[in-house]
Amino acid sequence: MQLWHSVLQLSLLASAAIPSAAAATWGFTDATVSVNTKGAGVGSGVKETIPDNKALSSPVALGVADTLKFTLTAQEGSSEKRAHQVSLLLQDPETGLDISYPFKVKDNGKSRLDLTQKDLPVQFLSVSEPLDARLLIGSFGDAAAYDGAVFQLAVARNPDEPVPKAEAVPRYGKLPEIHHIFKADAQSPPIVVSLVFVALVLATLPVLGGLWLLLGANVNHLPTALKSAPVPHAVFLGSLLSIEGIFFLYYTSWNLFQILPAVAVASTVAFVSGSRALGEVQGRRLAGLR
Amino acid sequence: MAPKGSSTPCSGVTLKVRPCVAIGDAIRAHTGYLARGYDLVFESPKSDKLSLFDLGEKAYDHLLILPPRSKGFGPALSPKNIVNFINQDGNVLLALSGKSTTPSAISSLLLELDLHLATDRSSVVLDHFNYDTLSASEKHDVLLLQRPGQLRPDTKDFFGGEGVLALPRTAPHTLGDTALLTPILRAPVTAYSYNPKEDLSADDDVWATGSQLALVSAMQSRSSSRFTLLGSAESLQDQWFSATVKVPGSEQETGTANQEFAKQLTAWTFKETGVLKVGKIEHHLAQADITAEDLNPAIYRIKNETVFSIEISEYSNDKFVPFEVPANDALQLEFSMLSPFQRLKLEPSSRTENSTIYTTQFTVPDQHGIFSFRVNYKRPFLTNIEEKHEVTVRHFAHDEYPRSWKISGGWVWIAGLWSVIGGFLAFVFVWLYSEPTSAKTKKTQ
Amino acid sequence: MAPKRTPAAASSAAASGSSGPVSAPSPQTTAAPSSLSSGPKTLTTNSSIFDIAHTVWQQYLATTPQRTLLLDAFMAFLVLVGGVQFVYCVLAGNYPFNAFLSGFSAAVGQFVLTASLRMQTSSPSSSTTSGEEGAFADYVFGSLILHFFCINFIN
Repeated sequence: MQLWHSVLQLSLLASAAIPSAAAATWGFTDATVSVNTKGAGVGSGVKETIPDNKALSSPVALGVADTLKFTLTAQEGSSEKRAHQVSLLLQDPETGLDISYPFKVKDNGKSRLDLTQKDLPVQFLSVSEPLDARLLIGSFGDAAAYDGAVFQLAVARNPDEPVPKAEAVPRYGKLPEIHHIFKADAQSPPIVVSLVFVALVLATLPVLGGLWLLLGANVNHLPTALKSAPVPHAVFLGSLLSIEGIFFLYYTSWNLFQILPAVAVASTVAFVSGSRALGEVQGRRLAGLR
Repeated sequence: MAPKGSSTPCSGVTLKVRPCVAIGDAIRAHTGYLARGYDLVFESPKSDKLSLFDLGEKAYDHLLILPPRSKGFGPALSPKNIVNFINQDGNVLLALSGKSTTPSAISSLLLELDLHLATDRSSVVLDHFNYDTLSASEKHDVLLLQRPGQLRPDTKDFFGGEGVLALPRTAPHTLGDTALLTPILRAPVTAYSYNPKEDLSADDDVWATGSQLALVSAMQSRSSSRFTLLGSAESLQDQWFSATVKVPGSEQETGTANQEFAKQLTAWTFKETGVLKVGKIEHHLAQADITAEDLNPAIYRIKNETVFSIEISEYSNDKFVPFEVPANDALQLEFSMLSPFQRLKLEPSSRTENSTIYTTQFTVPDQHGIFSFRVNYKRPFLTNIEEKHEVTVRHFAHDEYPRSWKISGGWVWIAGLWSVIGGFLAFVFVWLYSEPTSAKTKKTQ
Repeated sequence: MAPKRTPAAASSAAASGSSGPVSAPSPQTTAAPSSLSSGPKTLTTNSSIFDIAHTVWQQYLATTPQRTLLLDAFMAFLVLVGGVQFVYCVLAGNYPFNAFLSGFSAAVGQFVLTASLRMQTSSPSSSTTSGEEGAFADYVFGSLILHFFCINFIN
């Protein structure tokens, strides 16, 4: 009857362990879990009794300086017996990371485990959800092994201390994409501002003309000059204009090799005609006309 | 040569595997899955004739090392020689057994590869939840496991499939933290390791438990040569290929998938699967008509639109097939000078009969210098691709900038320049031909 | 390039200094007394600044040759063009910078060349030789080169 009872319990509790009718199954009894803080008096900590082959409903908290003591007696069927494997399996429900801690087992099946935060892998220290703690009890032979949840272990951290982080393990995989950030293109100022200033710049030309007229500028000597040396003056002015014109073409479309011969020709002409024309100007000056 | 008619199939044997011919009957029980064109040479591990190298070159393509019956291996199989063999692109499948103590030479070889055995070198994995009730109802040392699935969501699955694997008397190992190592099959969380020779329960010193215990692992070196460690040599035996097994609690007896798995494992180790080949690599400016001269120029300008493409094939068993990047993974192109400036995903653009062409288009960074197109694709189970093609990135040439009148901000200064020139011409005219107003001329003279 | 200065030349240089900042290389302190001595009006030591400026301006208009006045007007025009461009650069930014350099330095360079021409032509001592026309030829030559460089640089 007892056997049948425990079989029923097991099949309800542990999905992995479906007992065959012929064999006994492993289980536990007299299980207690206690958490004591280092330095605090004996008996000051939490102590809870776990019902046989069942789980605690409330999570067990394990602080930085705490020691968790877990004792139980392994049973094959209803007889207390030494099991080859009695271990507490901690598993992070999020990542599936697992580690088990074997109990110290005596021949009469009494098993005992001490656990502190130092024993936990560093990855478990930073988990947010409580860890699932399962008991594994199994041994050689036909008896079905026991695998059932016993409690949830909440790893409590001191908020003042930094949580140790697991070092990233090198793994080959894709890396984050990198998109080059280009320097922003320089922006022209508002076109209105540019146009206003263009107008201002161009307005200086009429201002110059007006100023000259005000000061009595005239072209009265032009007929004289053309009369005394018509060709040099016309050619000199023409070559100056054409040099600037060539410069304008250079600005708009020509390249250096197109303008160099043209400028060479025009400047030779300007040099020859210029010396004549300026000779005429000198003559005017020496005559006291300038 | 292995002694003819040797009765134990698990005798220590090394063999040369090369495409073509024959199998010696001595360890047929161990090599049935290799009957696909390999030329097998059987050697006793202590044989004087055995040498992995011939005139400095490796004498065999692949090496299959099974646990020896004697205590250790001969000098030909020293850790140094095996590492040299791997360095010369030789592939090694090393099978251990929990039945006997692993030779210390093997242990130190594994240490070089950052694989760790239990300190006693004779541990066996036990699992009271996943064992074969037919053959190991008492000792629970024949593990029954599902075939391994995908290692990670972004890796290719070379070992998957339906069915149950039987791993008798498996010697477990753990993996060090290196990217070269990849577990193929891990123990279940309920498993633990135990040394049957010291009759102590597993409580004293915990070495590793549960899924930290690896049963089958792979190491792929930087030169893409492969080393596979199989914890259970017995699982390769013909006997286990055809065995029927039963997990505890189940009524149903099933056959094992060991043969299929052995095929997959040897195919991967001996580079029949997961081998990538790079074909054409092309880069050019993004423009419509690409002639041969436009391909792979040595110089680019900053901010050029550039297209890069790489052709990749994957060798699968007996032919090259188009390589498909696993879901969640990405083939990435880096355009880098010292550090990557662009790292972009290469997308498949077209496929040929046996290759896929991956392409991306990007803008050359606004930084001149010597850059390189890099494809550095290193993934578990796939041979490494490391391509590097250097190009020069230059500035704008002086005639590649926009002309000044196209920039509205410069109009003011253009107007300024031309009004100065206009003013100059007018001044020349005035200076030459202006008649002084009479009164002043006298005054100054 | 360094003609001997008569009082008239010095005074005109000093006077033009009030209209254009670059054209007065000689310090005003040395030029002021000589211009005062030859001026039509006399200034007492307690004259107001406005009076002094007015006198100097009148002196400048009265004693400067007309061609030099035209030349000074051209220099004033260059100052104006350069000033507008500079203000624009300060207000609206210097992009495209080469255009700014080119446009602004065209005005400044032309100003410098014109100032040089003024120094060579306003001196009566050179009027007996062919110096004025030679200086003018140099000026045209220099200006053309300046224009070429500026056009080249403005892109």
